[in-house]
Amino acid sequence: MLVSTGRDLSSQVRAPRTAFVNFPMGNPFGHPFDKVTQRRILLEALHILGSVTEGGTLIDLPCEWGEEFGLNLGAGYARA
Amino acid sequence: MKPIAYVDRLNAFYRSRGFPPYQWSVYETAPLTPLRKPLNQCRVALLTSGGVSRKDAPPFDPLARNDLRVDAIPAETASAHFQIHDDYYNHGDADRDINCIFPLDRLRELAAEGVVGSVAPHHYSGFMGRTYIRTAVMTQAAPALARRLADEAVDAVVMVPG
Repeated sequence: MLVSTGRDLSSQVRAPRTAFVNFPMGNPFGHPFDKVTQRRILLEALHILGSVTEGGTLIDLPCEWGEEFGLNLGAGYARA
Repeated sequence: MKPIAYVDRLNAFYRSRGFPPYQWSVYETAPLTPLRKPLNQCRVALLTSGGVSRKDAPPFDPLARNDLRVDAIPAETASAHFQIHDDYYNHGDADRDINCIFPLDRLRELAAEGVVGSVAPHHYSGFMGRTYIRTAVMTQAAPALARRLADEAVDAVVMVPG
């Protein structure tokens, strides 16, 4: 199963099971050393493994980053 | 906040640089292999495409194209023993705590508590960006990894794109 921060990107690829996490790319399991959130997202993703009955299902995990964030793409794009 | 429209924004970015439109992989359907055991009996592995390697392995090359390298990472590797080389997302937080993108400590804990049956002998890292040979990924690299996972009796893989 896929844990993704790109909802539209993963929707079009359509993995058998996708958990969408509305966090910045680079932080799909949350902030550094935030064990509670990291665990919660991993566990919710693992539970989706058994609950999905149709291939291509995307589940929006309940999560809130707490502040606006941008594309966060990294230096490679600046070189392009 | 609403999810970021990566596809639209990346299309606009490529257009602004004069590149031809990016050929996204788009699928209408997907297969599903049902999980045949409860989670507490499943062996679970992680897969990242975020340029993650062990510190004693060569770094991934962020500028490489069509790099089909996939590392098998012993699952007992300490979480401080990783390096990240990828220029196409911000991994500043993951540099400090690899669990931000590759939650091997959290998976270990879930296995120790019996929530998950066991951790697979290896996790995997590869399928970096800048891969334009999709057929080779789909007919060679991905099936090779699937065979290896089957050999290791892995029931489920948590895949985290970087």
